[in-house]
Amino acid sequence: MRNAFLNQLSILLLGATALFSSCNSGAGKTGSSDSSATKGTVKIGVLHSLSGTMAISEVSLKDAVQMAVDEINAKGGVLGKQIEPVIVDPASDWDLFAEKAKELLIDKKVSAVFGCWTSVSRKSVLPVFEQNNGLLFYPVQYEGEECSNSVIYTGATPNQQLIPAAEYLMSEKGGGYKKFYLLGTDYVFPRTANKILKAYLLSKGIPKENIIEEYTPFHHQDYQTIISKVKRFAADGKACILSTINGDSNVPFYKEFANQGLSSATCPIMAFSVAEDELRSMDTEFLVGHLAAWNYFQSNDLPENKKFVTDFKAFCAKKGLPGGDKRVTDDPICWAYTGVYLWAKAAEKAGSFDVSKVRNALYSLDFDSPDGPVKMDPRNHHLAKPVVIGEIKPDGQFDIIWKSGGLVDPQPWSPLTSPDKDCDWVNHNGTYAKK
Amino acid sequence: MKTKNNTLLYILFITFFAILLPAGYLTGLLSVNTISVWGRYFCFAIAALGIDLIWGYTGILSMCQAFFFCLGSYGIAMHLLLKKTVASGATLPDFMAWNKIDTLPFFWQPFHSFGWSIVLCLLIPAAFAFIVGLVLFRSRIKGVYMAIITQALTLAMWLIFLRNETNLGGTNGITDFNTILGYPLSSSSVKLALYLLSLSMLCAAYYCCYRITHSKFGKVLQAIRDSESRVSYTAYKVTDYKLAVFVVAALLAAVGGMLYLPQTGIITPGRMDVKASVEMVMWVALGGRGNLKGAVIGALLVNFLYSICTSLFPDSWLFILGFLFVITVLYFDKGFMGLGDTIRKKFSATRLKTSQTH
Amino acid sequence: MRTSLLRMLMCCLLLPLFSAGQDSASIYTAQLLQPPADSVRTQAIGRLAALRIPATFPLLMAINDKKLYLLDNKAVTINSDSSSKGTYQLYSLYPNNTLLINSSGQPLLLPLSALKTVDIPRADRLLLAGIAPLLNLFSNDPQKRILAYSQLKHTSDSITLRILKAALAKESNADALRTGKDALYAIQLYKASSATNANAYIDSIADNWSDNAPALLRDYARSGFLNQETAQYAAAKAVLLEKRYDNLQRVQHFFSGLSLGSILVLIALGLSIVYGLAGIINMAHGEFMMIGAYTTYCTQLLFTKALGIPQTDLFFFFALPFSFLMAGSLGWILERLVIRHLYAKPLESLLATWGVSLILIQTARLLFGDLTAVKTPQLLSGGWQVSPHLTLPYNRIFIIVLAMLMVLFTYLMLYRTRLGLQIRSVTQNRQMSACLGIETRRVASITFFIGSGLAGLAGCAITLIGNVVPDMGQTYIVDSFLVVVTGGVGKLAGTIVSGLGIGFFTKLSESFFQAVYGKVFILMFIMLFMQYKPKGLFPDKGRIAED
Repeated sequence: MRNAFLNQLSILLLGATALFSSCNSGAGKTGSSDSSATKGTVKIGVLHSLSGTMAISEVSLKDAVQMAVDEINAKGGVLGKQIEPVIVDPASDWDLFAEKAKELLIDKKVSAVFGCWTSVSRKSVLPVFEQNNGLLFYPVQYEGEECSNSVIYTGATPNQQLIPAAEYLMSEKGGGYKKFYLLGTDYVFPRTANKILKAYLLSKGIPKENIIEEYTPFHHQDYQTIISKVKRFAADGKACILSTINGDSNVPFYKEFANQGLSSATCPIMAFSVAEDELRSMDTEFLVGHLAAWNYFQSNDLPENKKFVTDFKAFCAKKGLPGGDKRVTDDPICWAYTGVYLWAKAAEKAGSFDVSKVRNALYSLDFDSPDGPVKMDPRNHHLAKPVVIGEIKPDGQFDIIWKSGGLVDPQPWSPLTSPDKDCDWVNHNGTYAKK
Repeated sequence: MKTKNNTLLYILFITFFAILLPAGYLTGLLSVNTISVWGRYFCFAIAALGIDLIWGYTGILSMCQAFFFCLGSYGIAMHLLLKKTVASGATLPDFMAWNKIDTLPFFWQPFHSFGWSIVLCLLIPAAFAFIVGLVLFRSRIKGVYMAIITQALTLAMWLIFLRNETNLGGTNGITDFNTILGYPLSSSSVKLALYLLSLSMLCAAYYCCYRITHSKFGKVLQAIRDSESRVSYTAYKVTDYKLAVFVVAALLAAVGGMLYLPQTGIITPGRMDVKASVEMVMWVALGGRGNLKGAVIGALLVNFLYSICTSLFPDSWLFILGFLFVITVLYFDKGFMGLGDTIRKKFSATRLKTSQTH
Repeated sequence: MRTSLLRMLMCCLLLPLFSAGQDSASIYTAQLLQPPADSVRTQAIGRLAALRIPATFPLLMAINDKKLYLLDNKAVTINSDSSSKGTYQLYSLYPNNTLLINSSGQPLLLPLSALKTVDIPRADRLLLAGIAPLLNLFSNDPQKRILAYSQLKHTSDSITLRILKAALAKESNADALRTGKDALYAIQLYKASSATNANAYIDSIADNWSDNAPALLRDYARSGFLNQETAQYAAAKAVLLEKRYDNLQRVQHFFSGLSLGSILVLIALGLSIVYGLAGIINMAHGEFMMIGAYTTYCTQLLFTKALGIPQTDLFFFFALPFSFLMAGSLGWILERLVIRHLYAKPLESLLATWGVSLILIQTARLLFGDLTAVKTPQLLSGGWQVSPHLTLPYNRIFIIVLAMLMVLFTYLMLYRTRLGLQIRSVTQNRQMSACLGIETRRVASITFFIGSGLAGLAGCAITLIGNVVPDMGQTYIVDSFLVVVTGGVGKLAGTIVSGLGIGFFTKLSESFFQAVYGKVFILMFIMLFMQYKPKGLFPDKGRIAED
């Protein structure tokens, strides 16, 4: 009998905790609509990994969102309401991303979600947002070929980053390179990026044998074999590397590159996934002189940007975040920050937090971002912005060596690989076939 | 008395999950999200039962259960994706069209039919487990060697699934489904139905495992765990027994995976990386190995904690989980289920003392 | 003899060139520095670019690099790296390019603030793009010169050829000289009018053997050849060179395998003795490596920030023992608190140490934030150039040597000391050793100290090739377990053989497959291998009962 009693007790405890949590979420559900009306707050979700492999990159984005929220709140909030961020940790676990997205949308009833970094996390939450009519602000450059009604892509599409970089390298000024080694980590962004790059290079008359494509797994550390292949490839001096190597593989890659006697003068590396935040505490010695293409660099000398950079450093120091005032800004941080402002401005314009009204208000919306004025596309959910190419300096900053003339319009479907498709939510229903 | 106490436990479990939770949802007290979250935990619990059979009862630490789980999930995912592709009028899933593939790879073909998909989801993991088991058990690899080899196997499979050339979606895995058997996955009633299906499958799996462990077959398994050589001296074919239980465990993992997919909506290789495969074993360790109830409760509890902690303590949940693992292994080697016994022993000891003093 | 003749010849050729352009160049230079109007400056730069007078190249290059300054109205430029006080050495630009010295004969050092920057607009700088290779021929940076030489390979106009020869005569860097000669021979080869001449140039190219030589010869054989015979001769030479290159590549692969193998051995060494002695699957072993790496990072901080000794390699050599001690002591503490209770339960130890590794990773993340990296000591960056086509990076050589030393150390410890004897005895039979009066618990904690310390040392070494992230240990943990299992538990020789074997094998398969399949292939191979050697390469001999 005693045994039975104890077992019952344990199962009851389990049940009670479960019920507690369920009621908790249930209460949250009923309570949120009331509280947002009476207390004058509006909830937004922050869905960035704070632990696991992606934490390295994503924590900074959470900080940027938090800073934008604080700034807006200090100015009186949106539509007279204070923004209340709900921060959750999807722990770099793609399934958990979907679960947390459901929690934010269904239980917490947030008005918009700011989050995701990897394309797998975005793909994981996409059905959730579409089914529950949510709105996700996605701040990272991505592979395109997507046109969801529920995502606001503030990061770059391939034509806003890849093509200008390749064009620059082929130009007289950029060095007139004729051979291209496309090297990436094996996941969807590098694969798609390289497909587009290859199509572009072929269309510019680069012969097939002068383009090599290669992929390494995540966290690859040993680049000896690949560098010796590159060395052979680069022997006649007109070769460059277009690198979509991600995260912690970059340091071993650049170190091996330098140690085997290659340098930026003989074979420059144009990186699409290396930004100031990653360079912050890397040993930049081996990276100096190599290139990167983005839409924003911290070294941009606009007054808006100077203020943004100082504010961000001050924010991190004040909140006691790791790094403090040594923190830097970079492209995704800039767009994560801009995303919050875009949402706030759209909500003000729409006069409501309703997802479809905000979405409609976002078309053609312009905003003075730290990167200068940027503008939402009039027909889809991407952002038109400038393209910049920078050279890595020893302090981990970039020397801007090329800048696009004006804003570059986004092309979610690259005309090089999907010439028949386009993305339009105003006159069409998302992706449609061009005539 | 033992049976009576178990019966009470079962009744409580069923009442809570089969009646109270759905009722809570139907009355609007709980959101549908809570329901499907628990539905997903049940799938983990099914896989945990398999791990308990092979580790708790037979003493073989297999680290490739996560892989079998994923095989089940991938099978169903392929079916659902093909259904969606056909419904939208395309011939190829989106990601393949982007990867410049023009015909559907041969191994995708059978997944057009739901029946075949189910059969293959069970057959492939079973066959895989059979071959791997045959190779490993025949050469008498056991203990730590077994754990590391199976872990390496999972790692190898993980690397292969990560590749885009394998046409299984690479890192992104397979996602974005509409319907299952014609019913929309986004509707609440389908979610509830899947929840109830998972629950009943869990009960069925539990019943099967219970029968297995209480049969002669089960006794032999426990004998192998306690002393493999003595069992083989008494003319039992140890290899055959181990192989059989390994296949059963793989099947259970696959069933869990199959039910897991429609409730989660995505399957990626991330489900079978090193971390995931160690965690699966951890559920059983925490619940109490060699105890079927423990496996179920461990899986439910750990995942529940994981969900809660990542929302409430984003910074420190790893500490909580880590300490829990260490402390469980150190002090409650029978897991949560053993915790009751330990307390009872202490409890009765003090009571004995008090009765003696009186 | 030949070179001096060449140089004389060149002087004769260049002299008239200099004098002819001299006057106009001075005028344009003056216009450029103090232009009455922007259009005049644009025109001046355009004219200078068109004239291509070597004497003006330093000036034009300074413009191209945005490093043109005025000092007392004279054009100067700075060298690329500043001294510690933020001052720069200065060079005059025109008419002669020399280092400026002060009154006491020392190089003149001035900060940027003392100079007046000459701003040349981007549009004007673009005018120089056409002659950029020619300018680069006179750059201070050998890499730029190499690039310039290789760009000039296909020119045929005589002025460029003369300038190329002039630059080659001054060339001091071996690599640049090789590329330069290559370009010169190539131009001459294409101009050769007789088969003997052509063959002579082909021989020269082959002897010179630059990176590009085979491609060059093959191009020649395919098009532009003089007659069938020279084409065949060039093709044959190209094949010969390729073959020699392939041989060198084999050496490179061998070295890569050796270096990967040494890393594996270094990591697996500690794991192997701990696992052999205590039967513990230490999933936190990778995290001790991480601790070693962070200790190295902290040592660097200590030296640069606290002690104020920047720019030395000293910190790294201090970091080696530090990381050993740090990881070792933490391992010792872990043994005392957790592992001690798990000696009878090897499989549970896997779970508990996994929990420990989660805690350690999160602690590192909270303490150090995210990505950090250790500065590679100057001494260990770069590589040893065995031959022009074979560079062996110093950092990898260092790791190989370190691995050898550690193996030696472990061997001596295990087989030449009393402690080693005790460790070996406990490894073989814990109870029996205890009966014979060995304090098994003490032996176990010392072993754990050494094992974790070795992991820490491996972590310190890994900072040379990779970066430092909180979960860096997880990248290596399964691999190192495979090494231990393949080699046989607690066997020093087994660990070495299997670590090196897996290293070589991985590199070998990587040269055929892509990196991932190489790894999968290895894993499959090990599984099959275990069919024949279920207890690893060097199993325990004897009839120890299994249960």
